This record gives sequence, C-alpha cells and structure tokens, in this order.
Amino acid sequence: MKTSKGISLFGLAAVVFMMTVAAKCSTKPENSNGAQWSVQVNRVDAGDVNLDPAFQIAIYENLLDELNKTKQFKQVLRDGDRSASNVSDLLILKTSVQKYTPGSETRRAVTTVSGATKLTVRSQLVTRDGKVLFERKVDGNVRFMGGNLRATHNLAHNVAKTIKQSSLQVPSQPAPAQSAEGSASSKRT
Amino acid sequence: MIRRSAIALLVVMFWWAVLTHAQDVSQSTSSNKSFSARTTHLLGFEGSSNNANGTLSIQGDALQFQKDGKPAVQVPIASVENVSLGEQDKQVGGKAMTLGKAAAPFGGGRAVSLFAHKKYDTVALEYVDANGAVHGALFQLNKGQGEALKNELVAKGARVSQSDGEPGKQSKAEVSNENK
Repeated sequence: MKTSKGISLFGLAAVVFMMTVAAKCSTKPENSNGAQWSVQVNRVDAGDVNLDPAFQIAIYENLLDELNKTKQFKQVLRDGDRSASNVSDLLILKTSVQKYTPGSETRRAVTTVSGATKLTVRSQLVTRDGKVLFERKVDGNVRFMGGNLRATHNLAHNVAKTIKQSSLQVPSQPAPAQSAEGSASSKRT
Repeated sequence: MIRRSAIALLVVMFWWAVLTHAQDVSQSTSSNKSFSARTTHLLGFEGSSNNANGTLSIQGDALQFQKDGKPAVQVPIASVENVSLGEQDKQVGGKAMTLGKAAAPFGGGRAVSLFAHKKYDTVALEYVDANGAVHGALFQLNKGQGEALKNELVAKGARVSQSDGEPGKQSKAEVSNENK
C-alpha cells in the first residue's frame, strides 16, 4: 500500500516536472534556428502633432523597456548607438505619432467618461537597406485610472506585443520587398 | 450612523486634499546657489529606478540625482542635447486617496477629486552616453522649479532645440497628422 502511494507520488512529481519543462520550451522565441534580429529604436517622430516632449521621451524609453521584456530580439539598441554598426542582423524601429488627444487625470477622476488620453502611432521595422518588414498602426490610451503618461507605457506595450505576434522574416532569409500593411489596434486601458 | 461616518469621511478627505494642495515644499534655488530640489524621477535616468523620489541637483558640470539612501547617479551637463519643459496636472494622495474616493458614498469621491489635484512641472532631458546612444529622462518638480533647472542647465552648456522655447502645456484640442 505504502509502495503504491510512493509510486503515485513519484509519478505525480514526474508529470509536474514534464509540464514545467514543456511550458518553458513553449515560451522560447519563434526563431528556433538560432538566428535572431537585433533592433535599434529610433527617436519618436512627432511630425505635425503638438506632442508634449515628455510624451516623446516616455514613448522612446518605454519602447526600449518593453522590447527588452519580450526577449524577441538579440539586442535592443538605442538611437545613435555606435555599436549598432557592428551588428549584422539589425532592424530599425521607426515610430511616428499619428494622433494625440491630451486627456486630464482630474477630468477622468471626476466624470469617469471623459478626459481620456489617446495616442496613435505608426510603427515600422525597417532593415538597413530600407526594406519595411513590419508596419502597423498602434494605439495606447488611458481611460480610467492612472496619469496621462501611462498612455505611453500602454502604447509601448502594445507595440511590443504586436511585433511579437507578427511573423518577422528570419534574418538569414532574404527579406521581401515590402510586407503587407495592416492596422492593429490592440487596446490596453 | 452610516450617514454621519460618511460625512466625517468626506470632511477628512476634503481637508486632506486641501492641505496637500496648499503644501508647498518648495526648495527652489536662490540665484547664487546651484540648483537643488526634491523631485520625482519618472523614468529614463540611467541607474535610477522609475517613480523614485530624491534630490536633483547640479554638482559642478554634472546633473545628479540621488534617491534617499542610495548612491548618486550623474550625467555630464555637456552631454545633454535637449531640455524641454512641460506641465502636468496630477491627482494627489496616491493609492490610499484613490481607494478612499472610490469608497466614499453619494459620489463624494468625485467631489474630492475636484480639489485633490496639483500642478507640476515636468523636465524632459535628452542626453547621450559615451557610446553615442540617446537616453531620455523625465523628472517631475514642483511648479516653478522646472524653469530654474532649465536655465541653469543651459547656462552650464546644455543645448535646447529651437522648438522648445515655450513650455509644452497640454492643449485641449485633439491633434492629428493622419494624412502623413
């Protein structure tokens, strides 16, 4: 009786171990052939939008953070980083602001329904020779709780998530002329 | 009984909001001393954690942020490529206040929100490290201190882009460049 109990406990432990290993394997990056892109994040282009400089900087810094968190890229480099010239498989992330609705934390707290801060950007991943591998429109909003700058964090999170969900060309393969342009409005408030 | 305690809660929250609003912990600089002020580091200053309170000061030719009880982090002022000012209107009181407002009956929390906010200056810095990589940092200061910091940084060699002459106040209108 005791032996069978011990065996069943051992079996249970083995199953749990196998499940843990399987879960770890499934979270590995998609490029299983070892080739991985590196990415250089360019400064945010505000274009004609009257965007507070604090938002521009917050988007840039949050993008670096969020892209690092995804572990999808071998290296995440900053704009102007001289070491980028030595990186072979490098993509450049270009972000341009399309739309910005300044909100108000006080208005959100008082009315709940108004005062949302909304940001829409166009994100592009471009190779060194200018080929666009990824292009999406992404939103980042704050509708209820949190300060206005939280929109930049949500936006960066959505950009990183959208890039992760897209199937990027493996670096060793020749890149296509231009990928299909789409619009992903993954929202996080 | 419930009504009385609700009214008492509202009164306490109201006074808390008023006191926080009125509190002016300005440690702004005098004209002959180097800038030093209590600030909140929002993000980006390398080596400092986000949303950390500490002292931002100018030490010789470097901008220094020191979180309470932690070693100071410095950036040479000459490496600052851009300084811009902004303004933020934030709710005060933190999570405790937010929970209190949510719990207040008869929509009392919303009324408190009308008073429980404060204006801050935000200073956005862009600087480059030894490798040429661009960093951005955001600091939140008490109202009026942003201008003093910017002036001192510029006097010590920090650059300001042409478009950043005016503080970036948030406009009410929706802005877009969708046809780009």
